[in-house]
Amino acid sequence: MDQSVFRLGCDIGGTFTDFVLVDTRSGEFFTNKCLTTPDDPSDAVEQGIRQLLAVKPGFLDQVGDVIHGTTLVINAIIERKGSKTGLITTKGFKDVLELGREIRYDAYDIFSQYPEPIVPRALRKEIDERVTADGQVLKAVDEQEAKTLVADFQKQGIASLAVCCINSYENPVNEQALQRIIQETAPDLSTSYSFEVLPQIREYERSCTTAVNAYVKPITFQYLEKLTRRLAELGFGGKLYIMLSSGGITSVDTARKFPVRIIESGPTAAVIASQHYGKMFDIKDMFCFDMGGTTAKSCLIQKGHAGLVSTFEVGRVQRFKKGSGLPIQVPVVDLMEIGAGGGSIARISSLGLLAVGPDSAGADPGPACYNQGGENPTVTDADLVLGYLDPDFFLGGTMALDIEKSRTAVAEKIANPLGTSVTDAAFGIHDLINETMAAAAKTHIAEKGGNPSTVVMSAFGGAGPVHAYGLAKKIGAKSILVPPLAGVGSALGFFTAPVAFDLSRSHRLVLDEADFADIEDLFARLEKEGADILADAAKGDRVIFQRTLLMRFVGQGAETDLVIDPKPFTRWTRQEIRDKFDTEYKRLYGRTYPETPVEFVTFKVRATLPTKPFTMPQLTGGETSLDACIKGQRKAFSVLQKEYIDFTVYDRSQLFAGACFVGPAIIEERESTIVMGEDAAATVDDKGFVWIRIGEEEK
Amino acid sequence: MKNQAFDPITLEILWRRLVSIVDEADASVARTAFSSLLRDAHDYTCMFTDSRGQELVQGTFCTPGQAGAMALGVKKIIQSMPLDSYKEGDVFIVNDPWLLAGHLNDVCVLSPIFFKEKPVAFTACVFHHSDIGGRVSSDNREVFEEGIYIPVTRLYDGGVLNEDLLNMIRWNVRTPEEVTGDIRSQVAANHVCAQKIMEMMAEENLVTLDDLADEIISRTETSMRAAIENIPDGTYPHKGVIEGAGSRPDIHIQLAVTVDGSDIHVDFDGTSDQVDWGVNVVFNFTYAYVFMAIKSAFDPDIPINEGAIRPVHMTAPVGSIINCRFPAAVAARMQVGHFMTEMVFNALGQATPDRVIAGSGGTPAQTNILYGKRGSGKPWHTMIIRGGGMGASLNMDGHHCAIFPANGANTPVEILESDTPLIVKERGLVTDSGGPGRQRGGIGRQMTLQVPTAKECEGTPPGRTTIAVQAGRFVYPPDGIFKGRAGACARFLKNGQPADPSGLTFLDPGDCITFVSAGGGGYGDPMERDPEAVLTDVQFGYVSIEQAKTEYQVVIDPETLTLDLDATQTLRHKPKGV
Repeated sequence: MDQSVFRLGCDIGGTFTDFVLVDTRSGEFFTNKCLTTPDDPSDAVEQGIRQLLAVKPGFLDQVGDVIHGTTLVINAIIERKGSKTGLITTKGFKDVLELGREIRYDAYDIFSQYPEPIVPRALRKEIDERVTADGQVLKAVDEQEAKTLVADFQKQGIASLAVCCINSYENPVNEQALQRIIQETAPDLSTSYSFEVLPQIREYERSCTTAVNAYVKPITFQYLEKLTRRLAELGFGGKLYIMLSSGGITSVDTARKFPVRIIESGPTAAVIASQHYGKMFDIKDMFCFDMGGTTAKSCLIQKGHAGLVSTFEVGRVQRFKKGSGLPIQVPVVDLMEIGAGGGSIARISSLGLLAVGPDSAGADPGPACYNQGGENPTVTDADLVLGYLDPDFFLGGTMALDIEKSRTAVAEKIANPLGTSVTDAAFGIHDLINETMAAAAKTHIAEKGGNPSTVVMSAFGGAGPVHAYGLAKKIGAKSILVPPLAGVGSALGFFTAPVAFDLSRSHRLVLDEADFADIEDLFARLEKEGADILADAAKGDRVIFQRTLLMRFVGQGAETDLVIDPKPFTRWTRQEIRDKFDTEYKRLYGRTYPETPVEFVTFKVRATLPTKPFTMPQLTGGETSLDACIKGQRKAFSVLQKEYIDFTVYDRSQLFAGACFVGPAIIEERESTIVMGEDAAATVDDKGFVWIRIGEEEK
Repeated sequence: MKNQAFDPITLEILWRRLVSIVDEADASVARTAFSSLLRDAHDYTCMFTDSRGQELVQGTFCTPGQAGAMALGVKKIIQSMPLDSYKEGDVFIVNDPWLLAGHLNDVCVLSPIFFKEKPVAFTACVFHHSDIGGRVSSDNREVFEEGIYIPVTRLYDGGVLNEDLLNMIRWNVRTPEEVTGDIRSQVAANHVCAQKIMEMMAEENLVTLDDLADEIISRTETSMRAAIENIPDGTYPHKGVIEGAGSRPDIHIQLAVTVDGSDIHVDFDGTSDQVDWGVNVVFNFTYAYVFMAIKSAFDPDIPINEGAIRPVHMTAPVGSIINCRFPAAVAARMQVGHFMTEMVFNALGQATPDRVIAGSGGTPAQTNILYGKRGSGKPWHTMIIRGGGMGASLNMDGHHCAIFPANGANTPVEILESDTPLIVKERGLVTDSGGPGRQRGGIGRQMTLQVPTAKECEGTPPGRTTIAVQAGRFVYPPDGIFKGRAGACARFLKNGQPADPSGLTFLDPGDCITFVSAGGGGYGDPMERDPEAVLTDVQFGYVSIEQAKTEYQVVIDPETLTLDLDATQTLRHKPKGV
């Protein structure tokens, strides 16, 4: 069978598991959505594929690759459902995981809660070994001591073991010795070593990342084994790839080894889709906006590239408070996630002001209009009261909404206590959640050096297209792009992700004293490691490397990233490197200080394989008259006139290439609704993208 | 312009934006600062005021002492000059302890923000510079010994750098590159804050921030007053004692907290006079930690501004240790000032037992300044802050190791070892240090540092290392409350032997120094602690089997580490004295 005919993307989210099957010959898409099965997520995958098989019989043995994103790992961490994990560390440091960084993340709250360490104290053991900050071995590992530790751990019944020794980022020789001994003594034990998981300075962050990796490694292994087997049983003979938090995809083998790298597997997909559209349409600054039931994710994509950051937090005990979670230091797409979704609850704060979110009504009881007992007004209730949603066409009409319940909730909980009308209160909710997202979006965009007024916003998720217009006006964006299949758009993003892996090594060297031949050796070793990891997927394809230097003024605490040409490092001059640094520093912080010495801190390599070409299909068939696309008129709230006016309601599935119309308009599709005010105009291109322009009129 | 009764929704939106502006300025510091005390330990605070100098927002990740004290100081500075005498591009620098945050190390950089050619607000930040010159020790007699003293001076005059001033500072410190780098970082933080405020005013079509400030401040005051109303009226006295370092006499703090409707008044009449060593506290710093107690216990959720401080009043005798006169030595003022929060809790505890915590091992913050020369002759200088166990409260065990009521982070071992020649031998929790109680106090921690020998550093060993300790709890441990017991005391050991933490300590290659911080006090009778919770504490090594028996009357089998419930019940019900 020809395995290159189909590609299948499968994204497991909190509520739904989405599927997109693409026929690479015709560009034709087939989509499916089924409820996620949290106890065994592979159930939903099998069920969804069987449903697709009913539509497209026999496709599976013609599928070359299945690309998969999952929330399995993050849920295991948040719910603390990982394996019993032990930790071996340097003598004197078993409490690193428990002490953390000691900062009180909420300075004025004496009752703050802190996350429990991922490995409890009874399962942390010390070994008498030591390496200095410059890599000198003060004490080597004693084999007998190591064997005794492992035997003790086995008596305690651990299923996974993490190893993190002080200064191993500089010289891993003692961790490597432990690796050999543990492999001999306990060959079946799942293990994670910090020099492999995160060879970077700062022991708490490295220990935590390594321990979390160990904690989820067995369940990730079992799940991926099971998924591979079930796919094979269904007749799939191609290759399974897993989405990384960094926006690349990787083999099952690597995902099993480094599950900490797939924590943000889910939210990343929409960003990856946006990246592709950014390149496809050659958009300089695209702002990806993905709003679901509980959170909104946003990300600035510049010239088709999303930024990467090297640290984030999981399992916050106070969900949206920075510092209340476990730090994970692996590359992750620089997206901002905030507690703003359709389910976000509105209330009156202790100051007598309106507040919306970050708490969410979730799926149960859900917004008041779901009629499942929810009494708190949510963003979705406000959207319904304002006429943006059709109570009879939610999820294509499969779920009826009760608008009276929404009105009652808004009246009782917001309008009456504040002494305003239900309409004003509902608009207040809609507007405040937009403002919350706008504040986050503006900060995010500004930090990346973008300008909100020149971005093109791409809208995804159930609530994204409903709020995109209001959010765009708040941040000053003039242009919105709603891609086809916005509801399952993230699964579509998988097809555009490159097979990739990021590696890094910390090693401090003052620029003026550094031996460039040593640096070349270091880069070459990282690239060799990257090539090995990608070898299986490469099948002879050339691996592409990108090199990045993390540099700073000697004595400074944070680094400035410099992407450099991957030519042999010995061909750079010191002055060229220095100039690169000064130019970038000046761009970021306004001025630079050429008389102050600079140093290298970390060297990074990204190894990638060329992406497979992927093109969106042409919009075919459908009507060519706008009248045939119009479902009717509906009263909805105008942001400009602050009153209900008539909006024209369009059926997106009927829209044709070249269709153009002006607001006020509502465009309905099965999984979402696009809202545009009277100062906006829409055009539909030949691939089904809806482009909305917002006029230049004064607010 | 819209004038300017802000509706509740618009107000919330603008307020939130102002908070995020300060946090953005705050975040820029970690990227641009030089010293590990700032970039890793976060010992700095950013804020801004309206045109009248009233604090409008302070950074979320602040240090309460700096934040509270600078709010008072910045207002005084701003109001000392007519508004029209400020020029665009002016940047002021000042570290006057009496005006600001109580010691020379806390340097404030203050800039007016101009919008449409008028000063509309001021942005300020205080950074703790670990090196401000002088003799680094808590046994200095006057402030003149403690470093360079900068009165309110223009660092930039209408945008032009005062090179002479910068030079003067550089020649008075040990590590000029670091100090200069950190001052640059302060100027950059203010720049970020000013830019964002100007952008917001332009977008929102505002010509002043003062109307908005009035609204935000008055709402905050209302919230704070409502919280104070919940405390029963009355006068609550307390007498506390703080150890003198070395052989110096104890310091007595006497206070009376009077709650009268929505106002609270703290009077320190009867408190010890100022002393001839470095623990004297200026009014602002004392006030900051009195305020911290009221705010954190009663109204923790509302962002802080001028409105929050209005109902909190304080009086203290001039010349007393908590309202000292110039030129008292003040470098180690946290050794006394940090106790103010605990003192107020102790006074108010009887009236509001559910809102206070027992004594904390991180009171005062345990700080060490370390410096010397590497084998190569190159000087190094660093400062670390250590926490201790937090006090327990009605429903919670104390958190292990926090800097309270101040705030900050530890310096990672790997950062400390790469910034200095020192080797860290251990850093971990101390068994049995948490004060026993129905809720256990947080566990303290210990850290041992060694100066490497020639063998341990592949070459010439470093020269003599100097250590200054600014800490406490060596004599009087953090007390428990409501029958809870005290946590374990702090200790300071040189080569395993108790040493004198006051004054300077010198280490030669091969010498080790151990800092043990205290555990937090317990809350409630330890006899009432759930035996299962005691068992977990023993399994985790927080509590020894012996302490479980003597303090908690809980019997645990040393072989199986399981609970002997029968023996526990027998022990717990044994009549006293039998």
